[in-house]
Amino acid sequence: MKRVLGILLVLVLAAALFVPGQVLAQDQVTIGVSIPAATHGWTGGVNYWARVTADRLQEQHPNINIVLLTAGSAGEQANDLEDLVAIHNIDALVILPFESDPLTDPVDFVKQSGVFVTVVDRGLAREGIEDIYVAGDNPAMGRVSGEYMVEALGGEGKIVILRGIPTVIDNQRFDAFMEVVDETDIEVLDWAYAYWNRDDGFEVMQDFLARFPEIDAVWAQDDDIALGVIEAVKQAGREDELFIIPGAGMKEVIARVMEGDRLTPVNVLYPPAMIATAMEVTALVFVSDAPFMGTYIIDSPLITPENAERFYFPDSPF
Amino acid sequence: MAGPILRTTNLCKDFGPVRVLFDMDFELQPGEIHAVIGENGAGKSTLVKILSGYHQPTEGQVLLRDRPVKFQSTKDAEDAGICMIHQEFNLANDLTVEENIFLGKERRRGLFLDKRYMKEHSREVLASLETDVSPNARVKNLSVSQKQMVEIAKAVSRNADVLIMDEPTAVLTRSEINVLFRLIRSLQAKGVSVIYISHKLDEVKELADTVTVLRDGYKVATQPIGELTEDMMATMMVGREMKDMFPDKDLEPKPDTVLDVRGVTSPGYAVDCSFHLKRQEILGFAGLVGSGRTELMEAIVGLRQRSSGQIEVNGQTASIHAYRDAISRNIVYLSEDRKGKGLLVEKTMGFNLTLLALKQYVRRLGMIDETAEAVSLRKAIEEFEIRAPSNTAVINTLSGGNQQKVALGKIMEVDPEILILDEPTRGIDVGTKQQIYFFIHELAKQGKSIIVISSELPELIGVCQRIIVMRSGHIVGDVSGAAINEEEIMRYAMGIKGGNNNEQQSAG
Amino acid sequence: MSSKAPAETQGASRFTLDFRTLGPFVALALLMILGTMINATFISSANLTNVLTRSAFIGIIAVGATFVISAGGIDLSVGSMAAFISGVMIIAMNHFVNTVGVNWTTVMIGMGLSVALGLAAGLANGLVTTKGRIDSFIVTLGTMGIYRSLVTYLADGGTLSLSFQLRGIYRPVYYGSFLGIPIPLWAFFVVAVIGWIVLNKTRFGRYCLAIGSNADVAAYSAINVDRIRTLTYVVQGLCVAVATIIYVPRLGSASASTGVLWELEAIAAVIIGGTALKGGTSRLWGTVAGAIMLSMIGNILNLTDAISQYLNGAVQGVIIIVAVLVQRSGKGR
Repeated sequence: MKRVLGILLVLVLAAALFVPGQVLAQDQVTIGVSIPAATHGWTGGVNYWARVTADRLQEQHPNINIVLLTAGSAGEQANDLEDLVAIHNIDALVILPFESDPLTDPVDFVKQSGVFVTVVDRGLAREGIEDIYVAGDNPAMGRVSGEYMVEALGGEGKIVILRGIPTVIDNQRFDAFMEVVDETDIEVLDWAYAYWNRDDGFEVMQDFLARFPEIDAVWAQDDDIALGVIEAVKQAGREDELFIIPGAGMKEVIARVMEGDRLTPVNVLYPPAMIATAMEVTALVFVSDAPFMGTYIIDSPLITPENAERFYFPDSPF
Repeated sequence: MAGPILRTTNLCKDFGPVRVLFDMDFELQPGEIHAVIGENGAGKSTLVKILSGYHQPTEGQVLLRDRPVKFQSTKDAEDAGICMIHQEFNLANDLTVEENIFLGKERRRGLFLDKRYMKEHSREVLASLETDVSPNARVKNLSVSQKQMVEIAKAVSRNADVLIMDEPTAVLTRSEINVLFRLIRSLQAKGVSVIYISHKLDEVKELADTVTVLRDGYKVATQPIGELTEDMMATMMVGREMKDMFPDKDLEPKPDTVLDVRGVTSPGYAVDCSFHLKRQEILGFAGLVGSGRTELMEAIVGLRQRSSGQIEVNGQTASIHAYRDAISRNIVYLSEDRKGKGLLVEKTMGFNLTLLALKQYVRRLGMIDETAEAVSLRKAIEEFEIRAPSNTAVINTLSGGNQQKVALGKIMEVDPEILILDEPTRGIDVGTKQQIYFFIHELAKQGKSIIVISSELPELIGVCQRIIVMRSGHIVGDVSGAAINEEEIMRYAMGIKGGNNNEQQSAG
Repeated sequence: MSSKAPAETQGASRFTLDFRTLGPFVALALLMILGTMINATFISSANLTNVLTRSAFIGIIAVGATFVISAGGIDLSVGSMAAFISGVMIIAMNHFVNTVGVNWTTVMIGMGLSVALGLAAGLANGLVTTKGRIDSFIVTLGTMGIYRSLVTYLADGGTLSLSFQLRGIYRPVYYGSFLGIPIPLWAFFVVAVIGWIVLNKTRFGRYCLAIGSNADVAAYSAINVDRIRTLTYVVQGLCVAVATIIYVPRLGSASASTGVLWELEAIAAVIIGGTALKGGTSRLWGTVAGAIMLSMIGNILNLTDAISQYLNGAVQGVIIIVAVLVQRSGKGR
C-alpha cells in the first residue's frame, strides 16, 4: 500500500511539475467504475479496493470524479453502463466484466461514444475495444499451483480438485493446472465444483474424504473453498496426511502461510487489488501526458512463508 | 314427434362398491320440460351427470335420438347438443362475463379472437335473460344470483338441443325466477328439451310438463304434471306423508330482550338498522337478494366493518369488533355460503365440527383432546342424523343436506344462546329442510333466540313468529301475527310499502 | 351429490392419503438403495452421519417453512435471514470476547441474540404481510434482499469470521455428539418432534391448516387469521435462528454467500415431503425426509464419477421430480 502510494505520489508530483497549467486548466473528468457486487470473498476484495482507490484518487485530484457502480448480474451491469454514459456522462470507464461475452457489445458501445475504456481481469470476447487491459493471469495461476503441487509431492501422489463456478476463468486455471500435472504420475482422483464458497468447499471435501481413503493433496484453487476444506479435513482428523493449495490471497489464508501452517504451506496470488491498479492507471491518463495504453498483466506469484508479508493487507476485508 | 330425443335403458352406476343408480329407464321427449325430483341421495345428480358426460354408466345405455352414445367427457356431450348448467358454479372468477360465456368456444377471426362478435352475442343472451349484468364485468365481482344468470347464459349461448339445469333457482329471487321461466318456455317453443332438477315443488308444478320422481337410486314414477299435486310429489319423494312440513306455532317469545341492535351501519350495505330479538323468538329476515340482510348480520357479529351503531346483549352494551367477541357472548352466525365460508370442504367432518369451539377441547400443555372430539362427532352424527360414508369423510364427499347438518353441528358446538342462520336450507332436499325447521323450533323451545334469513318466503312464514323486511340496506317493515303473509312482505320488499325511512321498524 | 356417490372419491382419497404420507419415505429408501449401489461408501456410518448432519440446517428451516406453507403463505427470506443472523451473531460475539471474555457466556449471548433476531425478523415478515395486506411472496422477496444486503454491508463485502479463541468453545455445537449422535442431528430431531406436536396436536396447528385450507372459513370460525398467520412467520424465524446457532460453529464465518438458495431448498423439502404448496395440509415427517433427500442427492453425486459433474443440476432436478411423482403415484384415475 505504502509502495503504491509512493509511486503515485511521485507520478502526481511529476505531473504537477511538468504540466501544472494543464492540470489546473483541465475540465472535470468523470471516471465510471463498474464491478460485480460483493457476492463472495474475492469480489468483496474488489469492492474494497475500488472504494479505497476511488476515495484516494478523488482526494488527490480535485478534477477527478469517480462514479462506482456494482452489479449483481451481467444484465444489470449492462444497464449500469448505459446509465454511466447517459446520466453521468463519463470520460473513462473502468470495468471488471461480470462475464466476457454478454458484456462485449455493451462495452463496445461505450467505447464508440468516445469514452476511454479500461478492462480488468476478464478480457472481452473481441479484441481492440479497450484502451487498457489490466489482466489477472488465470493460466499462470493454474500453472503455478500445478508446479508447486508437482514439486511438493515429488511427482507422484493422489489429489482431488475443487473447482469454482463453471466459467472461462475457472476453465483456464483448471486446464493450465492439468497441463502441468498430466505429465507426472500424479493421479487426480476426482474433481467437483465448489462454487468459490466455504459451505460447498466443506461439503464436497467431506464427501471426498468419505470416498477416498488416501488423499495426498487438495487443490482448492480459492481461499474461500480452502477454508471449508480445512474444516472438513480437521473434522475427519486427516490433517497429517495431506496439504491444501488455496488461491487468490485472502488475508486469513496469507496469515496461515506466514505462520507456516502445515495444511496450507503456500498460496497463489490472484489479487483483487488489480482493480486499484486499473483505476490508478486510468486516472493517470487524464492527469499526465505519458501514454498509458496496452496490456498490464498482474502476475500470479507463489506466496510462501518467506514473502507472505508483502501480500498481507489486514485492513482489506479479503 | 318421432320418439324421445334422449333415453336411457337399464342405466346403473356404481361408485366403488356402492350402487347409486339402479336400472334407470328415463325418457325425454323433444320440446318437453321434464322435472326430476327426489331427496338428496336419490340419484338425480348422478343421472344427469351421466347424461352430460361427467360420469360414465357402469351398466346400461344412453341413447340420443335412438342411437347409443358414449360420452367420455362433458365436451362430447356438448358437441352432441347436451348442455348442463351446474349447481356449483363452473365459472372462471377472474375472467369477464363475456369471456366466461365463450370459454372453450371462443370465436376467432383469423388468428385473433373476434371480440366484437362475442361481446354482442353475450349482450344478446344476457338481454334475453333480462339481467343487468355487463359482459365486461369480472365474474368475481358479481353477486351469487348474477353468477347463476351468467351460468345460464353460458349454457343458452351454446344452442343446445337438451338443456340440463341442476337447481338453477336456489340463489335467485322471485323476479329472476320469473325471467328464467319465461326464457325456458321460449327455448321450449324453439324445440329445446329441458331437464329441470329442483327441490322447489311449487316451481316444478308451475314449470314442468312431466315429472320423474327418484328415490334411493330407483325411479319411482314418471307422470304428467297435471296428474300430480305438490303433496303427492313430496309423498313420492320421501316415501311417507309430508303434510307437516313446518312445526306447530306453539311458542311465544319471552318478554326479555336478548339482542338489541341500534342504528347499525355497514358502509355500502346496511344503513342505520335497528331491531331487537326476544328470548325464545324466531325472527325472520326477508328481502330481495342484495337487500343487505347478510351484510347487516355480519356487521352485528363482527365479521364486517361497522361504521356506527350499538349492540346490547341481555341488556348490556356489547363491544363486538371481531367474530370471536360475538362467540364469547354466545352469538353464532351460520353463513349462507356453506362451501366458501362455512366449511372447509377439503377437510373431514371432525375437523370442521370442532373448529369454532376448539378452545373447549384444549387440555394440558395446549394439546387438543382428540378423544373428546371423536365423541362430539359421534354425538353430532347421531343428533343431526348425518349420513356419511364414514366418520372420517371429507366434506366434499357429502351431499348438500349433510354438509349443512355438519355446519349446524359446528355452530352448536359453542352452545349458543342467539343463533343467526343465513339461508339455512339453501340447496338441500325437502326431507332435510323439514328436519332443520323442527330443529330450529326445538332450539327456541329450549329458550334460545333465533334469526333466520331466507329468500324463500313460505319458509319464513312457516317458521317465524315475526318477520323483518329489508330493502336496499334499510329495514322497511316488521310484520307479525296475522299480518304475516307473502303479499304483505313482498310489498315491503319491493318498495311499494314502507318507504326508505325507518318509521316502521321495531314495532315491539 | 348423492350421499352414496362419495364412496369412490372417499376410497380413492384415502389411498392417496396413505401414499402421500408414505411417499417421501419410499423415495428416501429408494435413494438410499441407489446411493449404496453407486458406492458402498455411501452407507458407511461416517458418510451417513455427515449427510444427516448437513441436512440439519435446511431441515430445521424447513420445519418452520412447513408452518408457513401449511397456513397458505411462503417465506423466501430464510436464507438471507440466516446469513444476516449469522453475521450479527459473529460481530456480537467477537465484541463480547473483549468484555465478557472467551467463555460460554459469550456464546450464550450470541445464541440468545440469534433467537431474538429470528423472532423479530419473523414478526416483521408476518406483520407486513398481514397488516400491510401484501402478498407474502412479495414481502419476503423484499426482506430477502434486505437481509442479504445487510450482511454484505456488515461484512464490508467480505467475510465475517468468528474469533479463533471462541471457535474452540463453540465448535462442539456442530462437531460434537451426544450418545454417538451429532448435536445438529439432535437439534433437528427435537425441532421436528416439537414441530409435529404443535402442528398436529395444538389449536395453533389446527388453525394453520384451517387458514391454509380456506382463510374465509377460518375467519367465519372466529379464528384470528392475521395473528395466526403472523405467528407462522415467527415460528419460521425461530427455526432459522436455531439453524443459525448450529451453522455458525461449522465454519465460524458468514458472508454474502451464506445461505444462498436455502429458501428454495427448504421449500423443496416441504413439497417433496407431501405438503401442498397451496396450503391446508402438512406432512412434517415428510418435510424431514425431504430435507434429508436433498442433501443425500448432493452427497451421492460427489461419491461417483459415473455422472459428469456438469450434469449435477440435471440429476438433482430429475430426482426431485421423481420423488414427488412417487408420492403421487397412488392417485391414479
